[in-house]
Amino acid sequence: MNPNPELARRREQALAMGGPEKLSRRRAQGLLDARARIDALIDPGSFSESGLLARSSVEPADRDRTPADGKVSGYARIDGRPVALVSNDFTVKGASSSLTNMRKIAHVKRTATQRGLPLVLLGESSGARMPDNMGSDGMGALLGNDPHQYVRHRETPWVSALLGDCFGSSAFYACISDHVVMRKGACMAIGSPRLVELAMGEKVDRETLGGHQHHASVTGAVDVVVDDDLAALAEIRRFLSYLPSSASEPPPRAEVPEGADEAASTVGDMLPASRTRGYDMRRLARRLLDPGSAYELKPEFGKTATTMLGRLDGHTVGVIGNNPMFKAGALDPAACAKITRFLAMCDSFNIPIVNLVDTPGFVIGTAAERQNAPTRIMTYMTALQMTTVPKLTVIVRKSYGQAYLNMGGGRNSDEVAAWPSAEVSFMDPRFGARIVSPAGASEETLAEVEEQLGRDSEVWGIAGMFAVQYVLEPGETRQWLVDMLRVHGASTPRAMSRRQLAAWPFNF
Amino acid sequence: MASIDAVAEVTGVVFSILVEVGETVDEGHELMILESMKMEVPVYAPAAGTVSSIRFDEGEVVEQGAVVAILTTG
Repeated sequence: MNPNPELARRREQALAMGGPEKLSRRRAQGLLDARARIDALIDPGSFSESGLLARSSVEPADRDRTPADGKVSGYARIDGRPVALVSNDFTVKGASSSLTNMRKIAHVKRTATQRGLPLVLLGESSGARMPDNMGSDGMGALLGNDPHQYVRHRETPWVSALLGDCFGSSAFYACISDHVVMRKGACMAIGSPRLVELAMGEKVDRETLGGHQHHASVTGAVDVVVDDDLAALAEIRRFLSYLPSSASEPPPRAEVPEGADEAASTVGDMLPASRTRGYDMRRLARRLLDPGSAYELKPEFGKTATTMLGRLDGHTVGVIGNNPMFKAGALDPAACAKITRFLAMCDSFNIPIVNLVDTPGFVIGTAAERQNAPTRIMTYMTALQMTTVPKLTVIVRKSYGQAYLNMGGGRNSDEVAAWPSAEVSFMDPRFGARIVSPAGASEETLAEVEEQLGRDSEVWGIAGMFAVQYVLEPGETRQWLVDMLRVHGASTPRAMSRRQLAAWPFNF
Repeated sequence: MASIDAVAEVTGVVFSILVEVGETVDEGHELMILESMKMEVPVYAPAAGTVSSIRFDEGEVVEQGAVVAILTTG
């Protein structure tokens, strides 16, 4: 049978996107178009497009100038695993949300959830389509007809990339994704600088309003910042490599690189002799993990703690570490929020938790209180206690007060190990000595009390009463973690979560 | 030959300088210690190389993000 000429013509028209002029302008700016982004993301030739011939169904005049209706959607494979995806085509009406393309998105979202596929959202959109949505009948027809549009139970991983102007759906879906990658030069905000000036009289540039620095360090809405489109797509593949395709599966197990155990045997050298000397916990974590496997999330936000995906003997783990490089590793409200979100993600996708502890406690004072520190500490603590994946804790050095609990102390982990350098108490001896001593005590008395409290904080007491189960030479830590992951069934059905945080929000 | 900046991750006062110009260091070597909020915080060598300059003296204030030393690599 001969090919149908009308089908061929319509396919060609849809694949032409917003036309050669707009496409070449993008290329000149170093930006990939929506289809090139898909090609660069997926296994070659694996794209199966859904809704190629979809187009505007509201304005008759738009029918022939809305190829694929501005949002390219369908299924593909990444590293051999099936995924669902949406790529916004900014050359077609700014990839604005319309009656037809919202059906397309809803369809791939539904399929991803029902069949256990990760969902990838390549964001670049202007918001809801005007004038389609204007007037009360426009609103009634376009918006609010899907009561599940923004409901997630983290059934499958969602990854969003912010690759240009992201107002409307690209921004909102990013805010309910498990992982968000942002290209430098992109902007995520509720409304554009132009609208901000019209409505609020505020003059602001794109970078200040919603640029990468703002989201990396102020809002924490972005996990990773990259220089260009290709790097963003590589980050999506990398993130998915740690995750199961759906919450009903354990995470995939990877090959273990050579030399992992030798590197980890010297990890103790990274701990300074003085308790007032900082060091970079990220470096220590990398030494324990499989070489090259550490993937830090939100490195510029809540820096007093680090959150990273990584692997131990090929098993995916989520590492939470205090970082004494910043504020001595004291947990501030931003770090608490970052960890809470990370716990919800790891627990929802059956990823065991590893705590690396060196914290003098929580940041106190007015700045922290104004950021609602007590609420954030307790939201984090509740999240930790509701987490049912295996939890392993290593007390490297300081563990004090409530932060001892938040960092997995006592029965807040399945297994707790401590290095001989561990010090555990309710309060740092320097301050504790002044609180427990009578008013007017001499400096000499205070020094004696401080010295006694320091001795009382040594690890032997807590190990003697079994609140710490193992005291390890630092060089034994990696093997212990690997052994405990095996005991607790990492990467097998034994370590599946009860997913009590699956419907928790994505920022706190 | 390429040069790489070693950057202070926190604002602090230079507490001690642990290397000299011309010294060869490994990646992760501590170049300098800053005192910040009662803690001593290291500046690490971002890569293996030779120290070609040190930008601050002991006692000077260093802002977060400042280049404190330059290494030559390769």
